[in-house]
Amino acid sequence: MGEYFNFVLSRTADMYTIVQNEGHGSFWLVFLIGIVFGGIIQYTRVDKFEKIAGFAMGKDTIIPKMLFLAIGITSIVLYFEIKMGYASYHVKPMILSGLIIGGVIFGIGMAIMGKCPGTGPISIAEGRVDVAVGAVGGIFAAWIFTKYYDDIFHPLMGESLGKETLVSVTGESATMWVFIFGIALILIAIVIPKMELFDGDDLDQLENSERPDIKAQKENDSFEVVK
Amino acid sequence: MNRRLSWWMGGILMALLLLFTFSVFGANRPIGASTYVPYYAGILFGMDPKDYTYLQEVEKAGAWEGVMLLGALVGGFITSVFITKTFRISVIPAGWKAYKNNSVVSRLIWSFISGFLLIIGARLAGGCTSGHFMSGMSQTAFSSMIFGGVVLVTLLVTGKLFYKKNKES
Repeated sequence: MGEYFNFVLSRTADMYTIVQNEGHGSFWLVFLIGIVFGGIIQYTRVDKFEKIAGFAMGKDTIIPKMLFLAIGITSIVLYFEIKMGYASYHVKPMILSGLIIGGVIFGIGMAIMGKCPGTGPISIAEGRVDVAVGAVGGIFAAWIFTKYYDDIFHPLMGESLGKETLVSVTGESATMWVFIFGIALILIAIVIPKMELFDGDDLDQLENSERPDIKAQKENDSFEVVK
Repeated sequence: MNRRLSWWMGGILMALLLLFTFSVFGANRPIGASTYVPYYAGILFGMDPKDYTYLQEVEKAGAWEGVMLLGALVGGFITSVFITKTFRISVIPAGWKAYKNNSVVSRLIWSFISGFLLIIGARLAGGCTSGHFMSGMSQTAFSSMIFGGVVLVTLLVTGKLFYKKNKES
């Protein structure tokens, strides 16, 4: 037991040392990025079951609207940020079967849990017990994945077909393509009709003037409250 | 006080955070949120990285995201208590009660299963909503567009098949 305790302590301490020496921001900067990340997600309520599973049911469109807007803006600005030398590409490899099998399994899990690995912890921080149980399932999955990585999972992912991007394949006309891509995503975000599924218990904590459902009613948005 | 942020404000702020994190003034890397899970699993299950190739592969990214996750927990907690007033202990989501069932056991079993699926899926694909969807598609990466497309379709199909059409009365 003592040995296990020491192991846990030293691996946790490693986290600090690795981040400090890795050159991707100091421990406190990365921690701060996390705080802002958690804050934005919590403040927009996109970590709610009603937002993610609600999107899967076709009753809420805040997730795609916010996600596509964020990607659209970032893709255009990031292209110039990289061009000016202030950032670089970190593209994930095209492992076809990994992406497709993984995507299907991930999509099923996301619809049922009503969370993804980024929003889940934020839900736990606001007191959702079911998500904590989901996290136990996730930790268990990571244990199995790590244990059988060489024998089962790595072969299942397939060979990498490279790290191509829209920018790398369009060459000289890349700037134009990035603009088309980014603007198209921003337009999609705006055009998707706004629909919301609200958790009534959450709304009851607010003053009438603060309630998003009353605001939605005034603005004639489509919405539904569940309890 | 505004207790909810609009989708467009959230989208703009998330874009700024991504751009800052990508830049050399920030972390000079993308945001990701699923590589920390094997790092933490390794700690809890007492797995020495020397014995597992996968832990060696994710050592650095796992630690980085592990620290970011700690921040996200703090940020989410502070916002839920002081801004959105949504902190409370709950087991079954309201949407689950309305469109699935009222059973605690059912919700917890499905939570465990779906949490398991989320991480197996994310690790097979090499990323999740943050790493692939947001960071990957922002770099116009084809790998992330494939993942995003597959997830979107599966999510909508599962939502249609798994939940009831009409609210429980």
